[in-house]
Amino acid sequence: MDTVIKTRNLVKRFGRVQALDGLDLKVSAGEVHGFLGPNGSGKSTTIRVLLGLARSSSGSAAVFGQDPWNDAVELHRRIGYVPGDVNLWPNLSGGEAIDLISRLRGGTADKAYYAARKSRLTEVFQFDPTKKGRTYSKGNRQKVALIAAFATPAELYILDEPTSGLDPIMEAVFNQEIAHAAAAGSTVLLSSHILSEVEQLCSRVTIIRAGRTVESGSLAELRHLTRTEISFAAEGISQEQLAHIPASHDLTVAAGRVRFSVGSDKINAVLPVLATLDVQGLTVNPPSLEELFLRHYGEELAADGVKATAR
Amino acid sequence: MSTLSVLLRQRARRDRWQLTIWIAGIGLLAVVSASAVAQTYGDYAGRENILRLAIANPSILMLRGTPQGGRLDAFVFFEIFTFLALLAGFMSTFLAVRHSRAEEESGRAEMIAATPAARTTPTVATLIHGFLANVVLGGVVALAFTAGRLDAYGSVVTGAAVAATGVCFLGVGLPAAQFMRTSRGANAVAAGAVGLAYVVRGLGDALGRPGADGIHLTPAWTSWLSPIGWGQQTGAYASNNLTPLLLSAALAAVCLVALFLLQAHRDSGASLLAGRAGRVNARGDLSGPLTLAWRLQLPTIIGWCIGGAATGLLAGTLSKLAEQAASADPTVTKVLRDMDQGGGGSVDQLLISVMFSLVGVLAAACSTQTVIRMRQEETAGTAELILTAPVDRTRWFGDYLLLGTAAIVLVLFSGAVVSSLSALAVGGDPARVGDSFAAAVAQLPAALVYLGVLALLFVLLPGLTISLGWTLVGIGVFLGFFGALLGVPEWARNLSPFTHTPVPVGGSTDWSDGAWMLVIALAAAAVAVAVMRQRELKPN
Ligand SMILES: Nc1ncnc2c1ncn2[C@@H]1O[C@H](COP(=O)(O)OP(=O)(O)OP(=O)(O)O)[C@@H](O)[C@H]1O
Ligand SMILES: [Mg+2]
Repeated sequence: MDTVIKTRNLVKRFGRVQALDGLDLKVSAGEVHGFLGPNGSGKSTTIRVLLGLARSSSGSAAVFGQDPWNDAVELHRRIGYVPGDVNLWPNLSGGEAIDLISRLRGGTADKAYYAARKSRLTEVFQFDPTKKGRTYSKGNRQKVALIAAFATPAELYILDEPTSGLDPIMEAVFNQEIAHAAAAGSTVLLSSHILSEVEQLCSRVTIIRAGRTVESGSLAELRHLTRTEISFAAEGISQEQLAHIPASHDLTVAAGRVRFSVGSDKINAVLPVLATLDVQGLTVNPPSLEELFLRHYGEELAADGVKATAR
Repeated sequence: MSTLSVLLRQRARRDRWQLTIWIAGIGLLAVVSASAVAQTYGDYAGRENILRLAIANPSILMLRGTPQGGRLDAFVFFEIFTFLALLAGFMSTFLAVRHSRAEEESGRAEMIAATPAARTTPTVATLIHGFLANVVLGGVVALAFTAGRLDAYGSVVTGAAVAATGVCFLGVGLPAAQFMRTSRGANAVAAGAVGLAYVVRGLGDALGRPGADGIHLTPAWTSWLSPIGWGQQTGAYASNNLTPLLLSAALAAVCLVALFLLQAHRDSGASLLAGRAGRVNARGDLSGPLTLAWRLQLPTIIGWCIGGAATGLLAGTLSKLAEQAASADPTVTKVLRDMDQGGGGSVDQLLISVMFSLVGVLAAACSTQTVIRMRQEETAGTAELILTAPVDRTRWFGDYLLLGTAAIVLVLFSGAVVSSLSALAVGGDPARVGDSFAAAVAQLPAALVYLGVLALLFVLLPGLTISLGWTLVGIGVFLGFFGALLGVPEWARNLSPFTHTPVPVGGSTDWSDGAWMLVIALAAAAVAVAVMRQRELKPN
């Protein structure tokens, strides 16, 4: 499969601040790639490098095999972008801003096609295009950028926390638009803090922390790195029998139930043992992305005195 | 009461450097001007001579004040008071807008309005804060002149007049902030009012009636329409009459009543000039960085063009008066020539070129604001929306330079057109048309130097664009227009582009400085474009 985005050992320094510290990111054509990491971990900085707004201090970055800094204009013809914090021109209406961006991107050449797309998006996002930039709420400013991004088809969408200001209904609309784009063969890089969104939309994710990649792969692959929670009724099960369960972690017996966790790759070894014990009321909870997430965020949270409860 | 003191402390803290610089700067100007005048015009006869020439010449009076005798301290007041009052006005209007409309724009005011401070308390706090700033300013000016060995009581009167002017414009600035939707608009309106007050009183001085001794002047009635004029009417060091300042206090009071009435009828963040619903689709011409920049800057450019046109109007109409004055007194020509650093033109040519040097300042300020707008687009994040589309960053940058050049030309052009028409309307010599356009063209290089140099600054030290931009204009005006008066050494005066503006006086005009400035402007712009190729977007 073609690689659309590839960074290797990407470093970005702002004076003494090391925003990116050897970041590796690989996004293949046609995938919706989740880009996760705690606040300040360098997601937006990576995106700015990929868009040629910032220049890497060292390491390499390529988008469609081209250099994002030197070939910025050429690349931007193929990219739709939604910033994390959308600011608009105070005295331009939302509709004018959308038209302006679309014209710059060359998306208005076919007037009828553009008008149809714009009005469909305006409708599904329930957006009022007649207000002036300064009077829009955060969510509505974000809609301007989203509509402008989707009104002109792009090969690659780079979206920096695009739903942080949207209400749940608009989030659903957004998910739909991403699905449309993916179905049309576009590649999407989606930075987000919303795990359900990532789980629903993304085929692969990259998790970064402090400017470094800590995990990358398909959701299925990453789930293997996490533990599955298992519990069943404690009645009639002896301590000795419990000791026979292989590869179990954090085993507890409380409120009439046995609980433990097991590495997701070891689950096939555990289930036959449970069958021989003839356990009742068995529940098996697959790992959530949240758990994965918290495991990587955990160290920072712990430093702040917050306990990562999902472990 | 306690919320008020919290808000007051917050304002004092936020302004501590800015106000210190304003107040100390104005105080320093007062000290320096007192000592420089004492040195340069030490003897009474010399001062009397200057006053006689000034009275015979409207354009000098326009830029200075009301002659009130040859005493040293009264002479200092004549030379510098209107400028001090102008600065006090700017200090106060900027302060008013900074703590009202700008706060609402940023959303901070909403946070305060949600606290027990409610809606009027922040305004009351701004008012007290601004009032105290002006009291301190008045005190500093009084001390500065006393330290400069001027009469102590007269110095107190001067300080009071400066402070009263400032308070009056504080009163003007606060309602302006209620009317306008943006702090940029509010600043423009309020600062425009200060500028207008300066010009109106200038008109009063220029058209005043000379006393029998030739060294006193009674300003024309227009002076009574201007808060700066009221300050002059105190006649500090001569008649020392504080009553005209009651007019300043009265105007401030009227403005404040209006302010609180207005505020009772307005939502936080809203403006009295209600916004119209915008267009659903953009007009066909809004399609690129240049048309966008044009659309964003147009109101500002129009504002500066109005300033240019107003100054042109004065130039055109005054040239006729100067003609008459000159035929009555040949020494006038010499004075004007001294002011304009040489040249051999006629009185009216010289006068037009003096007035157009003011239009040149407006043009430079307008181009400065274009570069500042570019920086604001960068910090607001709107530039990012443009530069993540297929738009080259050098092209985006170049478009702003183009816009800045167009803005300069438009300001100068509106000055030249209005000057020509008004000269013809009052029955002046048709040659004034050519003089006006020549004078306008002469201003081009200095304004372009400002554009080029600030563009280079934007590329190299973007964080300083806004603060240094205005500072450079201020320093340039100070050195170019007041440097000689205040005895600033020549090398320092030569730093100001305005010092080098050619004086077009027919065939003998020396354009070489202008040509050099063009070269400098082009070189700065070229370097800026080259560096821009390698420059990241720097939102903070
Ligand atoms: N222009 C800049 N100058 C200095 N430091 C910066 C600059 N831009 C970003 N940083 C720093 O780089 C680091 C990464 O910031 P970045 O905005 O990329 O984080 P992020 O992952 O997008 O965070 P968030 O989830 O909060 O959006 C932070 O420590 C930030 O303070
Ligand atoms: Mg971010």
